[in-house]
Amino acid sequence: MHIPDGLIPPSVCLAGYAITGGTTWYALQQIKKDSNPQANIPKASLLTAAFFVTSLIHIPIPPTSIHLILNGMMGAILGYYAFLAIPIGLFFQAVMFNHGGISTLGVNTVIMGLPAIAAYHLFKLREKVSRKRELWTKILAFASGAFALLLSATLFAAIAISTISPDLDAATERNAIYVSLIGYGIQAIIEGTVTVMLISFLEKVKPELLNI
Amino acid sequence: MKLAIDRYAYLDSPIHRWQQNCKIVGLLGLIFAFAFIHSLILLPIIIITTGIIFFLSRLPFSYLVSRLRYPGWFILAVVFLLPFMIGETILFQWGELTLKLEGCQIAAVIVVRFFCILTISLVLFGTAPFLSTIKGLRSLGLPQVIVDMTLLAYRYLEEVGEMVNTMERAMKLRGFDKHYFKYRNLQVLARLIGSLLVRSYEKSTRIYQAMILRGYGYQPPSNKSQKKLVLNKNHYQDLAATILTLSIALGLLGLDLFFTIR
Repeated sequence: MHIPDGLIPPSVCLAGYAITGGTTWYALQQIKKDSNPQANIPKASLLTAAFFVTSLIHIPIPPTSIHLILNGMMGAILGYYAFLAIPIGLFFQAVMFNHGGISTLGVNTVIMGLPAIAAYHLFKLREKVSRKRELWTKILAFASGAFALLLSATLFAAIAISTISPDLDAATERNAIYVSLIGYGIQAIIEGTVTVMLISFLEKVKPELLNI
Repeated sequence: MKLAIDRYAYLDSPIHRWQQNCKIVGLLGLIFAFAFIHSLILLPIIIITTGIIFFLSRLPFSYLVSRLRYPGWFILAVVFLLPFMIGETILFQWGELTLKLEGCQIAAVIVVRFFCILTISLVLFGTAPFLSTIKGLRSLGLPQVIVDMTLLAYRYLEEVGEMVNTMERAMKLRGFDKHYFKYRNLQVLARLIGSLLVRSYEKSTRIYQAMILRGYGYQPPSNKSQKKLVLNKNHYQDLAATILTLSIALGLLGLDLFFTIR
């Protein structure tokens, strides 16, 4: 789900960098409000490395296989640090494996990062729930995992297909976006399920990890 | 997990000797200029420019080919349909299938831009140790929090990768076969990821304590005399190379604008 270099118009690349710059500034302001932001930097960094490595694990879906994105999970655990962790992960992928690209780093960050922030706010709603907290945690975990992936997929498909050429017919564009979203819909269910499993595991084993 | 980015970072070439922060400015300028190119007539120029820079870097051609393989297939898969879907001027027709000129032109622009940007990125990040790149980005004003997070994540990437390999091997030895898609397998993989997150988190706590003991976060009194920049012959060469590269980038942008208006 990474847009490679050269595929989209430069104006979109620049807009991506502008949105990433603005959101990074906002995320940094939110992080500064923490009681001890310095202490969270190593935690967020190591978890960034862990999420990066996790994204290399493949899950077989015959006849092919998928890899997990887990941007919703990143948002749920890291909060606003996720918007710093995602460009770092994307930068590593662009430099080490040539997935994505340098000119499209801003756009790819928007595609992955904004849904992560949305997932963070969605998952945070569990703090407002007083009854059936365990059930609501699971529901919100599934919703944040699946919603973040679906939102990323929609942004990716919309940007990639609608900007590739102005001559492309609008109906063809729309159909191509719908077709690509069917595949991502299946992945969203898997991501949501894995997020529920992960959150349940972390709540039992290391609950403080969910409150960084 | 093997990180191959620093494999050719210690060769000796004019590009390797180019100071990394100047190189970042110059080559990023070129990358963005390439991203702006629309005119077909400029494609040979950007291919030649890329070729010269790659030749000067003395990176092996096999390295470039190995790095192009995966993203190359992806971009070909993406642009494959364009010559059949976009445009009006028919070049070739076979039943319902029509190859159109405009679609071919757009596909050519996308493929050439992609190839040239990827090659320049490889030269930019492959001709200096990754840590020099991070230091270069810091000197260009990247926020300290992001620099710290990048350095720490990079430092522990290999270790976390090794951790997951060991855990996967242990699961395999206990009879886990991940090649089947079933709910139980998904549960086991989720626990693997969860264990990885817990281990990374625990490690980060110890790392933070070690960092504090070594003075992390302590601001030493500034010594202005140390910050004075003294330009020597090498610095002038670095600056000249950066100005030349940015001039090429601006020239390409100007030419693209000229051909687009015309």
